Amino acid sequence: MLNNAFFHFFTLQLFKERGKHIAVVLLSVVILFLLSSVLFLSSSIRHSLNQTLSVQPDFVVSKTLGGESTTTPLEWSDELVDIYGVSEVSPRVYGRYFAKSKEKFFLIVGVDFLEEQSHQELKKIMETTELKGFLNGDKMLVGEGVKNYLSQNFYEDDYNFLTPKGEFKKVAIFKTLSAKSNFIANDMMIMPIDLARTILGYGEEEVRDITFNVPNPDEWEMVADKVSALHFNLSVTSKKEVEKAYENLYNYKGGFFLILFLVLLTTFVLILYQRYSMVYSSERRNIGLLRALGWGINDVLKLKFLETISVLLISFVLGVVLAYVYVFVFDAPLLSSIFLGAENIERNLGFVPVVDFSVLSSIFLIYAVPFIASVLIPVWRVAVTDPKEAML
Amino acid sequence: MIVIENLYKKFGEVTILNNINLHIKQGETVILKGVSGSGKTTLLSIMAGLDKPSSGKILIDAEPISKLPDAFASKLRAKKIGMIFQHFNLFEHLSVEENVMIPLVPSGLKQNVIREKVKNALDLANISHKKSMLASRLSGGEKQRTAIARALVANPNIILCDEPTANLDKENSLMFIEILKELHGQGKTIVVATHDPLFEYLSFENKVIPMVDGAICE
Amino acid sequence: MGLFVNEILFSNQVIVYLLSESILFALLLVAFFVSLKIVLKWDFESFSPAQFKLEQQAYLVTTIILFVFAIKFFLTLYFTFTIDVLSLLVPGAMCSAGVITANSYGSPLLVLKLLILFGLTLWLYVNFYDVRTKNYQWFKEKSFLFMGIFLLIVVELGLDFFYFSNIDTHLPVSCCSALFGQLEGANPLPFGLDIKMLLILFYLLFVMVILTLVSKQSVLYIVSNILFLYVAYFAVVYFFGTYIYELPTHKCPFCMLQKEYYYVGYLVWSSLLLGSYMGISSAITSLWLKKEFKSYKMVMGLLGFFVLICTGYVVVFYGGNGVFL
Repeated sequence: MLNNAFFHFFTLQLFKERGKHIAVVLLSVVILFLLSSVLFLSSSIRHSLNQTLSVQPDFVVSKTLGGESTTTPLEWSDELVDIYGVSEVSPRVYGRYFAKSKEKFFLIVGVDFLEEQSHQELKKIMETTELKGFLNGDKMLVGEGVKNYLSQNFYEDDYNFLTPKGEFKKVAIFKTLSAKSNFIANDMMIMPIDLARTILGYGEEEVRDITFNVPNPDEWEMVADKVSALHFNLSVTSKKEVEKAYENLYNYKGGFFLILFLVLLTTFVLILYQRYSMVYSSERRNIGLLRALGWGINDVLKLKFLETISVLLISFVLGVVLAYVYVFVFDAPLLSSIFLGAENIERNLGFVPVVDFSVLSSIFLIYAVPFIASVLIPVWRVAVTDPKEAML
Repeated sequence: MIVIENLYKKFGEVTILNNINLHIKQGETVILKGVSGSGKTTLLSIMAGLDKPSSGKILIDAEPISKLPDAFASKLRAKKIGMIFQHFNLFEHLSVEENVMIPLVPSGLKQNVIREKVKNALDLANISHKKSMLASRLSGGEKQRTAIARALVANPNIILCDEPTANLDKENSLMFIEILKELHGQGKTIVVATHDPLFEYLSFENKVIPMVDGAICE
Repeated sequence: MGLFVNEILFSNQVIVYLLSESILFALLLVAFFVSLKIVLKWDFESFSPAQFKLEQQAYLVTTIILFVFAIKFFLTLYFTFTIDVLSLLVPGAMCSAGVITANSYGSPLLVLKLLILFGLTLWLYVNFYDVRTKNYQWFKEKSFLFMGIFLLIVVELGLDFFYFSNIDTHLPVSCCSALFGQLEGANPLPFGLDIKMLLILFYLLFVMVILTLVSKQSVLYIVSNILFLYVAYFAVVYFFGTYIYELPTHKCPFCMLQKEYYYVGYLVWSSLLLGSYMGISSAITSLWLKKEFKSYKMVMGLLGFFVLICTGYVVVFYGGNGVFL
């Protein structure tokens, strides 16, 4: 029975009651906009994070002292190489360097260019860097955030580090790293491992930690156990645990928001119920008339639900599109600082648009189900209006 | 064919219809005569399936209209009964054509079939020249003719009219009666609830049934 | 085990899912009480205003159930998707299989969901016939059926909450290779069959289903479809699935729902379940209400589509590689 005539009549009715519907649409759009922005943001961040994490090495080993990580002996990497299933053992020297004048820090990452890299991104970076030129003299690769900061402070081509020994070390900028690896690499300075040692104060046989990969996922648990057994003060962390921690963090933030949002939603639902229950006598007469003219309760229900679905869909599309533009075109000012926390160096962030079934159906469900549930009873009440009302 | 037997309608303690027995054959024209409060409008509503009796039997073409589930009752109403109300009851914000279309909207008929039926009904009621005009802009007589077209669009064989001339002047009232005559000539069953004396002198065959205090007077 | 607040409950999808289930439950609760009132006081022959009001309220119940049904189908897909996403948080889980078995509530919950969907499908068919009678002939049957389904839904809601709040993200779970893999000597297939016999039975039963459908033999059809469902589950997990994954040792009903297999699992399982649900419901109503067996063409189409996809994967693999797994 959903023929053209029905749609025609329905559009006329919709237009006639546009006042009532527009108010609901506006309210819905605001709510959807908030909701979608948060969900878009969190799934985009999660996606980027996963992307970055996927290139991380599988395991990180470090020495512990008093429960905290401390400098790790380089000789441990020889022991790791001996374990079956372990590959790409890479000792790492890295740490924070404080630029005192502005109280900001850089992340210095030392890389042994003669060794295999277990970090996929670093591997890629090495492969795309002209090593001969890079290793000739004291040079470093910097992330975009670092480059911008240095430029703002008049360091265009190099920077003077103050080593723990009290000497100055001038290091030239060889290349700026792409924005794609911005999350991690943003504050990074990548340099040869010995240079990093000098700047950070590590000894010759000392490293911060040692990473390695285990290509066969079934062996992860076994390898982790074996590695832990090497020394009583050895701690081994797996990538999966890091993934989980980040996932939980963003879940926590997102979930917390959602729960607050539910309070807002409840209010919305109550308003809707009230609004739709306010059936003016003229509307009752109209429905009564339709019934008197041969419309069944089912026909009226269909009409009313079509109205509801239209309002729903229009609000949904508007709200989601606005949120999309807000998050992915304007980079979500205000909201992003809540999610990313107060940042060290300003990021030049473009959020990667991640809009998939999961996000869209979540938005749809959390909006449409309460919406329809709250209008169902008022709509029914109107639909069963006695046709006698037409006679009054 | 309308068959009513032992029909009662009570509203709390008040009896509005008292033991109505009525047989209306196909093609008959019946005038329910009585003052307001005599129960004729209520009887008409029950015949149209708009109201339900408190007890008794009412059959429209052998269908127990008051005891049918809504899906069936509304289909019966749509197909077999055309109603003309005292206050016309048009949708003011819609055009004449759109108003006339309404009974056919849930029918599932194709758009062009509906358009054809609407056109025929408008012609019959002599209002096609105003089909695009908004109902709010029509005169009393034109509104009544629109209501007639709407009542006829599904080609029902029963026409029920509730005080159809109460808001019309004499000229339009007579025009209305002419249309009724034509419908009678087509074999339609017509029931009119009215206290307009014009209906006592119809030029075509009809039966006048007086009602007082909810009962039929013999 | 009680209810714990854990990280799982903060996951977006779980919040949305539990919220939707709760709202649907609230609506169904209303429908339940209205239904109860209607069943107790229903007297179709009566002309009292109370009876007419009951008839009006019957529309409310129907509307609520229709809405809930539509959303529940979608929610089941969403649930499956959510479980898959949660495999990131549960150690050792590579797909939904691990997450479902993370505690003892998971499998019963899944089975219950499938049962409820079947019940709702059956209700739809009974309702279809009931509203076409002039005296609401099967109103009471319909209402009792709904009330039965509602009780299942009460259990389901409880299981929903218990399940999600008891997923321990620190305890590793088995992944599908441990759950479905062939242990030494143990044969997971029913009736002690081997793969070849299972496949023969699979196709034989399918033919039987089609034949009984076409000849409208309701009882035989129901029996053969139920058997087919049972056998098909094993056939998909232990044979056809391996062709989807292109790995003879990868046996899992859930991995095929993931992106890397183009989400084909949704097509496979929904065509099988939908076709079976529609067919069995239609057969039951035709027997119970003595009506004709309808929608058999659609059932044939769905089940045929299911068999086609499964066989297709094998054929394509053979065509591309010249050998079977």
